Amino acid sequence: MSGYRERVTAAVADGWRVAGVHAADEGRTVRALLVGESGETRLESSPVVGGECPSLVDLAPAIGWDEREAHDLYGVRFAGHEPLRPLVTHDLTLRHWTVGVRGHDSYQIAVGPIHAGVIESGHFRFHVVGDRILHLDTRLFYKHRALERAAAGRTLDEGLAYAARACAACAVASSVAYAQACEDALGLRAPDELRHVRTILLELERAWNHLNDIAAVCAGVGFAAGSNHFAALTEEARRLNAGLAGHRFLFGTVAVGGSSLSLGVDAVRSARETLERLRSGFNEGWRTLQFDHSFQDRLPGVGTLSPGDARSLGTVGPAARAAGIGVDVRSVAKQLAYEGFAPAAQARPTGDVRARLEQRAVELEQTFGLLDSLLDGPLSAVAARNGAATNRFGVGRVESPRGETHCVVERAGSQLERLRLRTGSYANWPSVAHVAAGNLLPDFPLINKSFELCYACADR
Amino acid sequence: MLTLLRDLRRRRLELGLTAPDRGRSLAVRHVDAGSCNGCEHELTLASSPYYDLQRFGIGVVASPRHADVLLVTGPVTSRMREPLLAAYRAMPEPRLVAALGDCALGCGLLGLPREAGSGVEDVLPVDARIPGCPPEPAAIAAALLELIDGASVRRPAPAALPRPVEARRANGASLSSGPGTRPRARRRRRS
Repeated sequence: MSGYRERVTAAVADGWRVAGVHAADEGRTVRALLVGESGETRLESSPVVGGECPSLVDLAPAIGWDEREAHDLYGVRFAGHEPLRPLVTHDLTLRHWTVGVRGHDSYQIAVGPIHAGVIESGHFRFHVVGDRILHLDTRLFYKHRALERAAAGRTLDEGLAYAARACAACAVASSVAYAQACEDALGLRAPDELRHVRTILLELERAWNHLNDIAAVCAGVGFAAGSNHFAALTEEARRLNAGLAGHRFLFGTVAVGGSSLSLGVDAVRSARETLERLRSGFNEGWRTLQFDHSFQDRLPGVGTLSPGDARSLGTVGPAARAAGIGVDVRSVAKQLAYEGFAPAAQARPTGDVRARLEQRAVELEQTFGLLDSLLDGPLSAVAARNGAATNRFGVGRVESPRGETHCVVERAGSQLERLRLRTGSYANWPSVAHVAAGNLLPDFPLINKSFELCYACADR
Repeated sequence: MLTLLRDLRRRRLELGLTAPDRGRSLAVRHVDAGSCNGCEHELTLASSPYYDLQRFGIGVVASPRHADVLLVTGPVTSRMREPLLAAYRAMPEPRLVAALGDCALGCGLLGLPREAGSGVEDVLPVDARIPGCPPEPAAIAAALLELIDGASVRRPAPAALPRPVEARRANGASLSSGPGTRPRARRRRRS
């Protein structure tokens, strides 16, 4: 039992990172996913003895949520994780899941789960003095559908739907992570054409998401001109998806062991034209935002995430890169067509709302460039090939529009025993709560939109 | 081109959109009861310049107190059941319920039944069904317009029809857990 902690401690000292922890085998085993510096992965497992297993939270604070989830859903107690607050369980009273904040004039504001706009469901409990946020406790998992449990016992092919439908905004990223995990377990290799088509789909998904996220920040400060402009571009990007693959969110375009997407010369040419229009529309809108002072005045110094906090909280994706941490799974994605990729960096990665907005812009430019070089000819259906060693476990890692998404599968033959999907939103929610402290309450919607996380794939 | 509000009218003309109708409106309160976020993304774009639902008098309002219709997405997860019922109870009569998307309609559900639920119909009386996974913004707009048209052309008549809430209760489905939490009977009149 003690070997698990020691193996992980040694791995962390060797430069490995704990990327996630989950309970398997109905709570009889706990597995930690370790990721090396060049993207290699390995699982370390610990038996659960007497309902208990050593915690890793002191070695890797970023997996705090993972252990709390394993406790709530599988009943595993993590020795050394104190207090082990509820995450998925909603039955406990306020004092169990909030941090006690007391003092002169301090009070709480409860928001949600139903919000005022068209927003997903989740509860925020702000501890404030006046308009100043002292602390924020989030309670999500209102949308918990038990997707991972429901996927167990399905075939590997059927399991794809559970990963894909966890979240529409990251459907391609989650599907590709799942497909890669299954292929890893089945010993299948993705030929170049398959890597190529999946990379196109991932970048199309990033394009509409980043356009949508810029529109969201504009909406967050009530700047209608900007939000209308970028919402119109988002619509055009989704129409492009529908035209290319038959679905506005690209549902059904990823499969385990191959791709059935085929695009003729005309479809590719027309997609390139649309992308060129989107790119110039984006540049025009972005330039206008740069020179709108009343808009720009709202952004700097709000919701600032320091590089040190981003590291210990395990922040991923554009939010981490906006704080100057150059993590991007695309740099090490050997199963995808990202040769020579380097994460897009901005001149001033200050970690605030301004930096997170600008990060979307520099990444959009990069995505348009990638799509320009990837959409260079017709695409046809392609299948993965046998040839690698088979395994009971498989791991897939993908950079979603919100950051690292990984999928771990355990199989028995062609049947899924355990599916674990850890998305960029799941990784980043603790960062949202952390950076809210010290800011003004009316700035919270803006901070939240600058991360623009999904609740659906965090709750699953 | 930045779509400034003052340019919207010109944009409508360019896009060939019809002029807004007068004399009708529908205040919508959206509740996400466990969707995959696809319906929310499409509903958001239904208010964007390409569709501009507001020109038909349809707007998303911040409180169920101000709403004519409760627009529900997702299969109604166990944790969203009570908040959804609370939102419904907060609405003034007459009130409508629209189920948006295949999960809300109870088809093709993923997840465990205990956590994920089985659709809006099992919790609330549904007046309008908007299928799709997710429904496109144009389909959402069309369905809401149908709802508004249907509601406005119906001639007032005494409420003689069985009330769906009670009909379902009679069928054995329980709507709420105790006294005082039952939604008020609906007084929307049908022809």
